[in-house]
Amino acid sequence: MELVAFVDQLRLKFPGKEGLLFKDLSVSFSRGEKVLLLGPSGCGKSTLLQVLCGLIPHSVDIPMKAKHIQVPDNWGYVFQDPDSQFCMPFADEEIAFALENIRVPREQMDDRICELLQMVGLSIQPHTNIHELSGGMKQRLALASVLALEPDVLFLDEPTAMIDEEGTAEIWKTVKQIAHDKTVIVVEHKIEHVLDFVDRIILFNESGDMIADGDAASIFQTYKSVIASQGIWYPGVWEDYRKKRRNEQPASASDHEIIYLKEMKGYRKKEAKIHIDQASVCEGEWIAVTGKNGAGKSTLLHALMKLIPTEGTYELYGKQLQKTKQIARHMAFVFQNPEFQFVTHSVWEEMAYSLRLEKRTEEEISRKVEQLLAAFHLEKQRDQHPYQLSMGQKRRLSVAASIIGGQKVFLLDEPTFGQDAKNTFALLELLESYREQGATIMMVTHDEQIVQHFATRRWTIAEGKLVHDEPIIRKTTADEELGKEDASHEMEYKLS
Amino acid sequence: MQTTKGLKLADILITIVISIVFGIVYKLWGPFYYFVKPFGFHLDQLIYGMWFIAATVAFLIIRKPGIALLAEIAASSSEFVTGSEWGLEVLIYGVVQGLFAELAFAAFRYKRFDVFVVSLAAIGSTIGSLIMDYYKGYIEALAPWNLTLFFVARFVGAILISGVFASSLVKALEATGVTQMVRSASKEDYDQLDR
Amino acid sequence: MRWNISYRETWLHRTNPSLKLLVMLALFVAVLFVHNPNVLMNFSLGFLLLFFLYTGYPLKYLLLFFVPFFVIFVSTASSMTMFGEGTTTWFQWGLVHVTKESFLRGMHLGFRALSFALLGLLFSLTTRPVYLFYSLMQQLKLKPKYAYSFLAGIRLLPIMLEEFQTVRNALKVRGADAERGLNTKLKRYAIPLLSQSIRRAQRIAVAMEAKRFSNQTNRTFYYQIGFSKYDVIFLLIIIGITALACYTGIVLPYIPVTDVR
Repeated sequence: MELVAFVDQLRLKFPGKEGLLFKDLSVSFSRGEKVLLLGPSGCGKSTLLQVLCGLIPHSVDIPMKAKHIQVPDNWGYVFQDPDSQFCMPFADEEIAFALENIRVPREQMDDRICELLQMVGLSIQPHTNIHELSGGMKQRLALASVLALEPDVLFLDEPTAMIDEEGTAEIWKTVKQIAHDKTVIVVEHKIEHVLDFVDRIILFNESGDMIADGDAASIFQTYKSVIASQGIWYPGVWEDYRKKRRNEQPASASDHEIIYLKEMKGYRKKEAKIHIDQASVCEGEWIAVTGKNGAGKSTLLHALMKLIPTEGTYELYGKQLQKTKQIARHMAFVFQNPEFQFVTHSVWEEMAYSLRLEKRTEEEISRKVEQLLAAFHLEKQRDQHPYQLSMGQKRRLSVAASIIGGQKVFLLDEPTFGQDAKNTFALLELLESYREQGATIMMVTHDEQIVQHFATRRWTIAEGKLVHDEPIIRKTTADEELGKEDASHEMEYKLS
Repeated sequence: MQTTKGLKLADILITIVISIVFGIVYKLWGPFYYFVKPFGFHLDQLIYGMWFIAATVAFLIIRKPGIALLAEIAASSSEFVTGSEWGLEVLIYGVVQGLFAELAFAAFRYKRFDVFVVSLAAIGSTIGSLIMDYYKGYIEALAPWNLTLFFVARFVGAILISGVFASSLVKALEATGVTQMVRSASKEDYDQLDR
Repeated sequence: MRWNISYRETWLHRTNPSLKLLVMLALFVAVLFVHNPNVLMNFSLGFLLLFFLYTGYPLKYLLLFFVPFFVIFVSTASSMTMFGEGTTTWFQWGLVHVTKESFLRGMHLGFRALSFALLGLLFSLTTRPVYLFYSLMQQLKLKPKYAYSFLAGIRLLPIMLEEFQTVRNALKVRGADAERGLNTKLKRYAIPLLSQSIRRAQRIAVAMEAKRFSNQTNRTFYYQIGFSKYDVIFLLIIIGITALACYTGIVLPYIPVTDVR
């Protein structure tokens, strides 16, 4: 087999961090292979991709050396964050940028652009502002502009990490269509979408060592427990989770009404963007707010927090409150990007912040912070800067710091977005334990499994209106038998 | 270990993006400046120094030659493009202010990043802006007491905003760890590869 | 760069951006050396006409854009008028000393500020940044790494504005918006926005190089920007305004002063 890329005895070190990430790592790839790199976050999979295509050290200055290294002649790279890989404002201009780089004559550009957009299944006008595209569409545009380079080898670096379920499926469908004759090296955490596509899996552990390399189906079977422990979204992860989950009572909410809405409208730029005819929320409920991108889910939460002007009746604990400040005493709001919420320089101070504002005694602050540090598994990170935490830790900190004031209602805007399985379960369980003690949760999510397993009620938002309000019968251990059968069938099918 | 000549694409891009953020601040600073102006006694000159901050902050983050000049040009361009009250004038001021800040950093061969050097750069930019004012605004025609107040206010404001504040801002930014990916790896890091 | 307002395209929009920029800069320098208030007033009038007739925006928006410039005119003119030195006293009250000389000088400065502002508006209202940077690469040989960095930066603007709004909401929810002190307040916004922007810029740079961007200058261009009859029209009109402003300013002055220095 002809090798398209390899590295022999790679050593690599992140500046300012102790120790080497890779120590004498050797790996090679043959033409036409479809390879999945698996491992926990932070094990260096993306870094390895960037070494294999030469971005490290050419574009990214990270100390590395290797005995031998071969970079493919013609490669393309799709990155994780859809907003951080374009340099031009319009779709056609972005593809043209790639064409200009390889000096395609101007006369051929228009045809090429249309052809490429078609190839990735984007039926948009070429001159569309990228800002108006959904995440999934952006990633397919990224793919189109990479295909403009006519690559033989495709590097896909968690292309769906920041994309919802629907977009993820579209992206992988597109990749499968266009990449059958190419070499593809993938990093992906949602592996159910790629298991029927890849023929080889390389598995890493936390410290960046390769622990397995071989045929996809057998690696997946042999190392299933390792993969599970790494927080990867493998097929059947929810069924397994259900088995492990402590035996809990089916969720029950009280009938004590805490939020009451009637003819409530929320405005953005003087335009009503959300309209609720009538709805109420009772103590102990877990409401999943679902709906398409741009339907108005986040707007609803913003309206409840009074971050945007509202009209009509909105009662919280029987009172019509006007100011965000008053509402924030009862309601905690967790934003999608945790960093934007951080205001201090250490985890400990971050937790103590709202208590300090309320002028609680030092003794009480310290007691509460310690308690939550333990509950949210952040004790070891207490002195770290919030920005320096891992994705999962940042998320937990943002939740902990928001609810430490004793708020009983939690509004969360896609809190599990971009999180691995381990962190997602940990967070959901924490929230559930608060709910069992009487907290009420409203959470925007795209994940149907979360709705089925944790919510007590679902609100469906479409075009700025609450169109469905239905109770959910939670999936619990009772459904286990059925679920297991389903899962095993699915897995066989996908691996064949 | 950089072998390519001049600034890398990443250096330029980061500088420009930071500067665009400051460009918007510059733009918003205009109305604020005119709001303060009628209070008299050159209170407006105390806040003039904000218009030099892109150069010092960008330099402190990237720490390479040419960054201060580029940042000030980029910030003034974006101020201009977003419709500055001063129009094209800001572009030329930007070039001159950036150049004088750059000179201050160059005087220490781009090896010092403390408050002193940054304040010196702020003073440099102030001198640059005063030279431009001289050509444009007939400042010598103000009464002497008034002129002195004008000078003092502008220098002090510049040192406080683009010197002291800029340096504490970058310190806070360093604590987040984001500057680490921007600066070149050290030789020690490379040496560790052989251990 | 006002994306969401629709406008009519005029010859000013079709002029080569590099040429337009150079001519505007030349006019800027020229205005700097005009000391005859009559000529300057004519210049301002000429630019004002171009602004209202040929930028192609609805009058409502033009007036809106114009308000801050008018404020500047008044502000610039009044400070020099009230505190400048002069010999022919018109009015004195405490430190305020209005003389004939300072008044004229103040008005002159006001008109100068006004014409600079108008030049800037004329340019930015009629030039799409993408065309400007493509033109700068093609006509003035600006290095692609600078041009595309600017374009990438401009693309990030709306994203950064959204982030700014998010930070504002987040601070409100956490009660951090009520804190005192400009220093703390500025940092509260600056740290999240800057660190996010730096990371994003770094990633975009890597992504651009992954798409084979390099600094070689013999690239092809999606927008091939050259010269056309509109450039001739533009030059003729500018020369016309300049000539007319100087001629009438000298031959038919509004006020009998030729030099305010």
